[in-house]
This record gives sequence, C-alpha cells and structure tokens, in this order.
Amino acid sequence: MISESEGGIDTPRTVAAPQATTDRAAWALRAAIQGLGRPALAILIAGLVGGLIILLLGNNPLIAYGILWSGAFGNRISVYSTLQFTTPLIFTGLAVAFSFRAGIWNIGVEGQMLFGAFFAAEAGYLLRLPAIIHVPVAFLCGIAGAVLWALIPGLLRALLGINELVVNLMLNPTALLITSYLSGYPFKAPGPTNKTYDIQPTAQLPQLTTSSQLNVGIFIALALALVIFAFQMFTAEGYELKMIGLNPIFARYGGLNVTRSLILVMVISGAIAGMAGVEEALGVDHAYYDGFSPGYGNQGIAIAMLAKNNPIGVVFAALLLGALNSGGQQLQLQTNITRDFVNLLQAVIIFFLAAEFAVGWYRYQRQAKGVPRAAVAAEEGT
Amino acid sequence: MMEATRAIEMQGIVKRFPLVIANNAVDFSADRGSIHALVGENGAGKTTLMSILYGLYQPDAGHMQVFGRPAHFTSPRQAIKAGIGMVSQHFRLVPSFTVAENIILGQEPGRRGVIDMGRAEREVREIGRRFALPVEPRDLVLNLPVGLQQRVEILKALYRQARVLILDEPTAVLTPQETRELFRTLRQLAEQGTTVVLVTHKLNEVMEVSDRVSVMRGGQMVETMRTADTSPARIAEKMVGRPVLFRVNKDPAVPGAPLLEVHDLRANSSRGIAAVRGVSFTMRQGEIVGIAGVQGNGQSELVEVLVGLRPATGGEIRLHGKVITNMSTAARRRNGLAYIPEDRGLVGLSMDATLSENLLMGQQRHGPYRQGGRLRLRAIRRRAWQLIGNFDVRGAVPMASARSLSGGNQQKIVLARELSSGPSLIIADQPSRGVDIGAIEFVHQTLVRMRNQGCGVLLISADLQEIFALSDRIIVFYHGAVNGDLPASEATVETVGYLMAGVDQVSAPGAREGA
Repeated sequence: MISESEGGIDTPRTVAAPQATTDRAAWALRAAIQGLGRPALAILIAGLVGGLIILLLGNNPLIAYGILWSGAFGNRISVYSTLQFTTPLIFTGLAVAFSFRAGIWNIGVEGQMLFGAFFAAEAGYLLRLPAIIHVPVAFLCGIAGAVLWALIPGLLRALLGINELVVNLMLNPTALLITSYLSGYPFKAPGPTNKTYDIQPTAQLPQLTTSSQLNVGIFIALALALVIFAFQMFTAEGYELKMIGLNPIFARYGGLNVTRSLILVMVISGAIAGMAGVEEALGVDHAYYDGFSPGYGNQGIAIAMLAKNNPIGVVFAALLLGALNSGGQQLQLQTNITRDFVNLLQAVIIFFLAAEFAVGWYRYQRQAKGVPRAAVAAEEGT
Repeated sequence: MMEATRAIEMQGIVKRFPLVIANNAVDFSADRGSIHALVGENGAGKTTLMSILYGLYQPDAGHMQVFGRPAHFTSPRQAIKAGIGMVSQHFRLVPSFTVAENIILGQEPGRRGVIDMGRAEREVREIGRRFALPVEPRDLVLNLPVGLQQRVEILKALYRQARVLILDEPTAVLTPQETRELFRTLRQLAEQGTTVVLVTHKLNEVMEVSDRVSVMRGGQMVETMRTADTSPARIAEKMVGRPVLFRVNKDPAVPGAPLLEVHDLRANSSRGIAAVRGVSFTMRQGEIVGIAGVQGNGQSELVEVLVGLRPATGGEIRLHGKVITNMSTAARRRNGLAYIPEDRGLVGLSMDATLSENLLMGQQRHGPYRQGGRLRLRAIRRRAWQLIGNFDVRGAVPMASARSLSGGNQQKIVLARELSSGPSLIIADQPSRGVDIGAIEFVHQTLVRMRNQGCGVLLISADLQEIFALSDRIIVFYHGAVNGDLPASEATVETVGYLMAGVDQVSAPGAREGA
C-alpha cells in the first residue's frame, strides 16, 4: 500500500484514484513528480532567464554561474557562508509556510523578524545574566517582540475580519522605519553606523567555526523544521490547522474554533519569524544593525512557495536561496553583476510559482462561491 | 439547399481521460426544433458529450455534423459560430455588469472599439421580445433573481444566434415556479425552430418537457426513446441498469421519547432580515420528519441555527431535553448531532483534502485515533478503508482527494463520517441533491436504517418526492414559519403543495391542525 510509505494522512491527491493495484505505483510516481516538477521547472526557467541577462550584460553565463557555484560551495569558507545565509532563511521560510498551510497569509515575516532582532539585541545588551540563562532569556525576549508585532494583523483579522495580507504588507515598511529609528536614535551606540550597543558576551549564541559567523542557530532551525513536520503530520492540532487552511467553512462545520486557531497561527508564525531576527542579532551581528536583512522575510515567501509549505522542503529551498545569496556576493566581487542578480533569479522563480498559485487561488475562489472547477470536469473522476 | 432535419448528429464519439473512458462510441442526434433530454447518472458521460459538442473537448474518435455540415470544433468559439449555445449549471455572468453588457460581452456592437450602448440595449430588448423573454437591459445582473439570471444566459446564447441550445441541469437552482417558466420558454423556443438539449437527471422534468429522451450509462448511449412512449420507471431502469425502488421500503415508525424540541425559534438571514419567525415543533426518536417548502422560506436558516452555524435571535432548542440554543457546533456534535449539509463541496467536505482526512474530522481528538498527543495514522487509515467499504464508495482509496469522486460518492463519504459518530439526531439537508439515482437509493435506505435504530432524522428537501418517500411526518414551511404539521400517511401532494404556497392550513383541503 503506498499509503503506508507516504508517512501519514498528509498527501492529498488531485489525481483520480487508481482503479487497479498495478496502476498504483505508477500513479504514486506521477504524483511525486508532479509535486516536484513545478518548483524544479521554475528554478530551471529562472536559470535560463538569468543566463540571458548575464549575456546581455556582456558576460559569459557559464563562467558567471561557475563563480556563483564556487562562491556558494567552492571551499570551506564559502560553504560556511552559504549555511550562515541559510539559517535565517529556514526560520523565515518556516514562519511563512506554517501560516500559509493554515490558510493565513503572514507575509509580514520581515517586520516581525526585525522586531525579534531588536528586542533580542536589547535584552542581550541591557541584562546582566550568566550565559546559561542569558541566551534563552534574550531569545525569548526577541520572540516576544516579534509575536507582539504579529498580533496586530492577527487580531485585526480575527476580531474585525480585516484582511491580514494587506495589514502585513503595510506593517513591513512600518517595522523597518520604527526599528531604523530606534537603532539610529534612542538606542544607537556611538559610532558612524546605525546600530545598537553590542550585546554582552553572555548573550551570544555559540559559534561553530572560527572563520565565519555560523552558529548553533542552524541546529535550532533544523530542529524546528523537524518539530513542525512532526506536529503537522502526527498531531490532531496539526491536522486541524491543515483542514482550516484547506477549507475553513468545512472546519467550522466540523466543530473547530477557526477564530482561535487563526490567532494561534499568527502567534506561532510570528514567533518563528522572530527567531530569524534573534539568530542574526545574537549569533551573527551581536547587535542590532539597521538594514541587516537583505530581505530574509520576503525571501521566506519564495521559500515557502518553493517548498509547497512542507517544513522539510523549506530546509532545502532555504539552502538554495542561501547559496544564491552567498554566491551572489562572490559574483558582485568578481564581475560587474551586482547582488541584485540574485533577487532577479528569485523574482523569476516566484513569478512562475505565483502563476501556479494564482490558478489555485482562482479555483479556491470559485469553490468558495460554490462553483466547481468547470462544469466539464464534473464527470471526469468517477 | 435543403436544410437537414437533424440539428446535431454525433457518431461514434470516443473520449478518454487518464483513468476512465468518459464516452465510449456514443451516437447522439437531435432533431430541429425539438426538446431532447439527455439523462444519466453522475459520471455517465453526459457533460463530457455536451462539452465535445460545444468545443470544450476534442473527441479521440468519431465525427459530428451540425445542420448537415461536418463539424470539428477546437474551441467553443467555433461551436458558437456554427450555431451552438450552452448554458451551464453555474452561470458565467459578470454580476456588476448590466443585463445588456453581459449579453453583448465578446460581441459588442459599435465601431473602432467604442461600444454603442444605445444600440446594444435596443438589440437586447428586441431579442427579448422576439423570443418572448423580456428583460430590462439596464438592470444589474447582481440584482436579478436566479431565474432571470438564467434567462440572461439563454439570451446571451440567442444573441450569438444559437440554433442549438444546450442546458446543463438548468433547474438545479430554480424554484418550482421558475422551473415552470423555464419550461414554457423552452417550448416556445422549440416552436420557433430552436433545438434544445436538456441535460438533467430529474425524470419528472424529462416527462414534462421533452420530445425525445436519450439515456446514457457508464460512458455509453443506452437508448433514445420518444418521451411519449416511455415512463419514468423505464428511464430510471435504463439509467441504473436495474429496476429502482422509488418507494423506500420501511416499516411504520415507532416514535420514542422527545428528541429535538424547538420552541418559538427566531433567526435572521445573512442580510439581517427575519428568516425564521417563531418556529416550534417537536420530533421524537425513531421518526423521520420532513421539512417541505419552496426554497428560501427559512429552511436553510433553520438548519444553520439548529447546527450552531447561525445565532438564534430568540426561542429555545432542546436536544434530549438539554438546552443547546447557545452551544458551539462542536458541543452539539458531542451531544449527538450529525449534519449532512446542503452544500457538499463547500461545507460537507474539504475537496482538496484526502478521504482519510475528510473522514477523520470530528474524531481526531478521540481515543482510538489519538494516543499521547499523537495521531494513530494506521487506525485512521484502517477506519477510512472500513468506512469506504461499508458505505460502498466504489473505487475510492483513503488518499484520493474528495474532489476526485463523483457527487454520489462524495455524499457517501459525508454520510460515512456523520453517521459513524453514533448520532442520535441527523439533520439531512437536501441529502440527494446532485447525487445519482443509485446513490439516492443508498442515502434513503441509510436514513431509514438509522431511524429504525432509534435516531431522529430531520430531512429538509426541495424534492417533494423525496419528502413523501421518507417522512413519517411532514412539516411545511412558509415564510419562515410552520404552515402545517401532518402525519405523512394523511398528507397528499396537493395538500402539501397548498401549504407550501402559503394557503392557510385550515382552508387547505385535507389538512389537519398541527400534530
């Protein structure tokens, strides 16, 4: 039975059920390829479009991609750099994916991350505690800051029905301006850059290497991915959140408290987003640097979409974008191709995934209005 | 050139989908100026055949002629050009546009990209007059009742000079009055030379309006008959391939203790208008109470209040003597409520979730399926297999999506979930809507079996046949209130019809005071 090997009740099929046992293996294979196909295609197309742009800029795409690759995986230092970029991306990807799966559009991860970083940096600087307590306390402070910020769209949606997508979208620049002001004026450390005071050594996340800022945050991120995976696959609560995401009306009819779950999802998603900022503040920068994020939060949206909201998939998608970020730095150093190139690749990937996503959303809307996909499809799947 | 008497001629049409042959060498033809009914269970291939005729699908084999000319449509645009129009079950109108705007959409009169709205409105009025389908061109479609929206759809096809009009389940959304109106329209159109193909699975409609009837089953054309020469029972037999029980076999009810007591219940519609206006009734264990009424008379709102999806504005609901008026849906379910909702696709199922997940809803926190915070996936899957077997959901596997099933099988999944929780009160809202005849029989027998086991069944149905076939007692709704409460044995279709139409229950012939 393939259902046994699927590892859970998790994998819905839009393909019609197979009629005979012999068809099942082929059917499972096709479903798996279908699942991986779109993201892989999106990445491939992005690569081709990127190559074309490099050509137009007067460079050899093969050489440029070679530099990108060696900048990401060429030697030990570049691998460390890739992993360091990957770490916050796992967190932001998980935060977005967790909310998307439950049908909540938390695209405010960037702003929540900024608050997480700022609160963690301040707790790391202001408090005087032994390391064994200081790290967790600063960690939790960061999370608390992010959750408070995430509650704004969460409560507005739950209590007043205001679209969280729009609120989140507006709150991102708001968060950036607020943290920018805080780190530039009231909490600014002396010096030319806009940053807060360095955190106490007791609040620093342990480093894994001497030659990079790679820290234990990556293990926290990986563990978190596993925990979320287990939560979603094996717990009743995970099942309930998934069902709310797939069809909230059905969930309500089934007796679930959709409003409460909605707030809970924003809190958890915000907390995970906060961890991205905490890791950067306590593990990489050891302070809050204004503008430290190259858009980790928004890259998290691309990651969640690439991973189809699967937490394990998030790890791999984050590694891909981490490698692009890391390789992009080398590309900028060695050629006239700026780091924006990485954003471009990302944009193309998102564009193609979003096209698929838009189709799904369109179907959902029609379903919500009680209109099935198309009258013609009604008789296909007996 | 002599015009052929056949409007449509389809021969040997084959259409394969990855796992199913939807049309297997189907022959179909319709005469000019006739009404031709195309009937069959869900999944019989009717819609596929019509989609091929309308250019939405290309057949894998076979050929067609439209008005004597060979036709190969690769898009609806070509089919429309050849004079074929289709009105699908779900309207494709722009609600915020006017009637005229919707009708001319895609074929706007005017020049150099500027629409001549004055001319459009004149043309729309004119075509409405010609076909005796009056509409006001300037009305916004969103303000129109469903029956008029359908008229706009039909006019849209006629505006494109359709000479063959395909209607897919046109009465599914209509009130009885609107249905009568539609049939009158179709007769007129046919008299004026339009060919009408009516896709349906309601046999009384076939008998009422069609000249000929073609029956499909399992992707094949079974037979085409003159309607006058056949009977509903014979058509039904051809549809399912065996005789159907239109009467459900059931013993007399043995009503037990009071189960659901509704007292002076009031509730508002979504628009804030009083929809349930002081409803009182009592139902007992072991009886099926049918709620009859023209749609939109407060039945839907009553159901939503009973299951806890709509707040009551007054009155009281007791289940087993316990007041449940303000309980959450979950708490009501814990107290023995099961609910088969009217809208399967949106409320009763999560279409993109697996059958296993759909069947689990409500049980996920209960003992056998959860242990120490972990779902017991094996037990859940075993139960899914078991329910699929017990409820005869053919060809289904637990990890298939609900969407992949036919309407009848989807309904069986809903029944399986709702009835396996050991309910004492089952609220079944239009339980056989959009379900094929074989599955209707199954649904009915299941409900009767539950009633024999002592459950109370509250049946809400727009289909009087269903009400009469199942109910032990019939409550008639009119204008948000009970306008008659009578034992099924004493009720006649005429009496109930009068009561549904709002005739005072005392003056309605044969009606008694509420039981």
